[in-house]
Amino acid sequence: MKKYLNIKYKKALPLLKYFSGNFHKKAFRSAAFLLCMLNILCLCSCWSQRELDKLAIVLGTGLDVGDLPDTLKLTAQIVKTSEINSGSSSKSSTNGGKAYVNISYTENSVLAAVRGITHMQNRKLYFTHNEVLILSSELAKLDLSEGLDAFTRDYEARMNVNILISKGKAAEILAEDVELEKMPALHIAGMMDNQKSNSETVVVTLRDFVIATLSKATAAVAPMIELQEADGKKHVILKDTAVFKHGMMIGTFGKTETRGLLWVTNKAGSGYITVDTQWGQVVLELLHSTSKLKPVKAKDGTIHMELTIYEDGAIQSNETTEDMSKIKNVEMLKAKMRESINSDIEYSLMQARTLSADVFGFGEAIRRDYPKEWDKMKDNWDTLFPSIELETHINVELRSTGGLIKPIVPGGEQ
Amino acid sequence: MKLEQGSISTKDLMIGIICFIQATVLRSGYIVGITRQDSWAMAVTGFLFSLPLVFIYAALLKKHPGKNLIEIDDIIFGPVLGKIISVLYLFFFASLAALNARDLGNFVADYMMPETPITVIILIFMIGCVYTLCKGIENLMHLSAILAILSIGAIVINFILVLRDIQPWFLKPLFQLEPMRYVQGTVSVVTVPMGEILAFTMLMPLLEKDTKIVKPMVLGLLFSAVTIGIVILRDIVTLGPLAEIVSLPSFESVRYVSISGILTRMESVYAVVLVILFLFKVSILLYAFALGLTEILSRNPRHSADSEGQSCKAGYFKSQKSHPPLLFICAALIYFYSLFVFESVMENVNWGATTAPFFALTFEFLLPVVSLLVAFLRGNGRAKEVQS
Repeated sequence: MKKYLNIKYKKALPLLKYFSGNFHKKAFRSAAFLLCMLNILCLCSCWSQRELDKLAIVLGTGLDVGDLPDTLKLTAQIVKTSEINSGSSSKSSTNGGKAYVNISYTENSVLAAVRGITHMQNRKLYFTHNEVLILSSELAKLDLSEGLDAFTRDYEARMNVNILISKGKAAEILAEDVELEKMPALHIAGMMDNQKSNSETVVVTLRDFVIATLSKATAAVAPMIELQEADGKKHVILKDTAVFKHGMMIGTFGKTETRGLLWVTNKAGSGYITVDTQWGQVVLELLHSTSKLKPVKAKDGTIHMELTIYEDGAIQSNETTEDMSKIKNVEMLKAKMRESINSDIEYSLMQARTLSADVFGFGEAIRRDYPKEWDKMKDNWDTLFPSIELETHINVELRSTGGLIKPIVPGGEQ
Repeated sequence: MKLEQGSISTKDLMIGIICFIQATVLRSGYIVGITRQDSWAMAVTGFLFSLPLVFIYAALLKKHPGKNLIEIDDIIFGPVLGKIISVLYLFFFASLAALNARDLGNFVADYMMPETPITVIILIFMIGCVYTLCKGIENLMHLSAILAILSIGAIVINFILVLRDIQPWFLKPLFQLEPMRYVQGTVSVVTVPMGEILAFTMLMPLLEKDTKIVKPMVLGLLFSAVTIGIVILRDIVTLGPLAEIVSLPSFESVRYVSISGILTRMESVYAVVLVILFLFKVSILLYAFALGLTEILSRNPRHSADSEGQSCKAGYFKSQKSHPPLLFICAALIYFYSLFVFESVMENVNWGATTAPFFALTFEFLLPVVSLLVAFLRGNGRAKEVQS
């Protein structure tokens, strides 16, 4: 039998043997070996291989309205790996080299522009590490769906990329003069991480933005960024909030209104509040805040929103000569703090009503808790939203006076 | 490669079922598309409504101990009609195997290797399945414990990592959709992951105690239902309405994980687990198909050999069960079937939403029920007559 089998193999017809059910050990081993070899081939993935030195790693993307009608201009900020490794920034500046290259291409769609860049560069754009997506307000006022759909749908791009709206050209934002960082995109992304310490900017990722645009009620928001020139250098500054409705930018929220918005949506972190007392200015630090928004149905069937805010604060600086650790003064400061928070919210609400944009997610909250009522309201939500009342309960605590109890310049009432 | 009866323990069967269903759970998008934020509840109703299926299969197998589904068909319906019914089952197994192989191919081609032709991906994958089965189905079943730990571990770790980004109110409002959607969602869960355990009826003769199958099957389904529930819950609380529009919610929710910029890109874990689980699932389906085909085509049917006694049962025919002779041909058939089964993902989704439940119910529910009824009507005595 064995001999017979060997002859068979020599004639290179082992496959026939496989179908007969009884495996010869040697044949089986050779087959297993071949299989292993094949699997190794697929492990090293020579087929769709993308070597690091063939990739153009994109860290920031800007979208502008193109010069020709109906086109958009895509600007990709690409890391220059050789420069980023070249040690201190002074050394690279003596070489006159920046650690990044901005490549722009104008085409009628995002993919067309991405592929268009292959006409100019030897490397293919790689979007997995994209940190920021900047859209110019000019484009945002026209139509946003094109750019956002492409970035959400694409397998390579991630949804935790920060979204920003630039007041001028997005391409110019990506070309700012950076000093502490080597790349404008990383600078902006790092800045977005820090925004919770001022509670004056909304921080929005692509995922949050798309969730908001998917809702029939909520108006999406995104932070705005602007270029400012000082001492011959251009620096970016985060300022205001863009408000969207049906995929189009319809207006902006200023600093106060943005903070009001953050109070209502439970996104406020820390920050400061300056209050004016009869003796002078006192600065309070906001340590920790939570808020809860919920719809309440009154007896007559109308729905209004109820907002409860819990806020912890501390006295950060006392510019008066008065002793602010006195319980009487603490109560006064707390009242001023409540007032300040309340006025932020009032401003915000006023602006939202003017724009008729439900930035707070009132509609979503009603849909969640009163789905039947929402069914009646959803068709004319745009007109109903400005009439929805907001009732606020603000609970503030001043936890400490910091490292000092009394002011450094004594005086005042003893 | 001789295989004794009883080489697969009931515990292996239970864990095998968990792995088998897990493969589909990771692609939970089709359920979220139907029942939206209430989809997690479909795991519960799906489990309850798949219990009758388990009892039907168990009753069939209990009436014919030591036999697999194809042999049972022969006994119940006689040699001719039995073969026709068996061919229908085989078509179902082959279709499932092809569909799952295609699913995996689409996933790899879309998300990981966009330039690689899908034919190559499926080919390598099928070679993997064949190799697995060459090593013996019982070894695969023993290994299922490791696979289950891997997949459940991945689910738990991913769940912990996304906790930072969850928004529990995405689950509201509870149960406000049209009732028809819940029916549709339940049927989808019952037919697509749960009812597919019909393939395990081909493995029953290898069981240690082939009469005790209700408990491992029900426990396996229960575990699977729990994991389905957790996975869907995670996807909804992380993605909210986005879960309904992305093609792979689990993939996207895991993808969002970013712990201080270091612990990111967890989707590679998901992808590895997905590939391994699909390998397990398609191997089981391929085994069911190949074994069934062998038995239909074999010249001296099993039950004639049976009359000679148990010794024969543990001999030649058992050795076939570890590794059916037509394995290579079957794998090739499924490979080509998977290449032309769907032209695009859109076609696949459309079929899954409209036709798949009815297609699957025919084989998972209708045929077994008819078999059981006929078996009862003919009675045990008559069945033995046909057998001899």
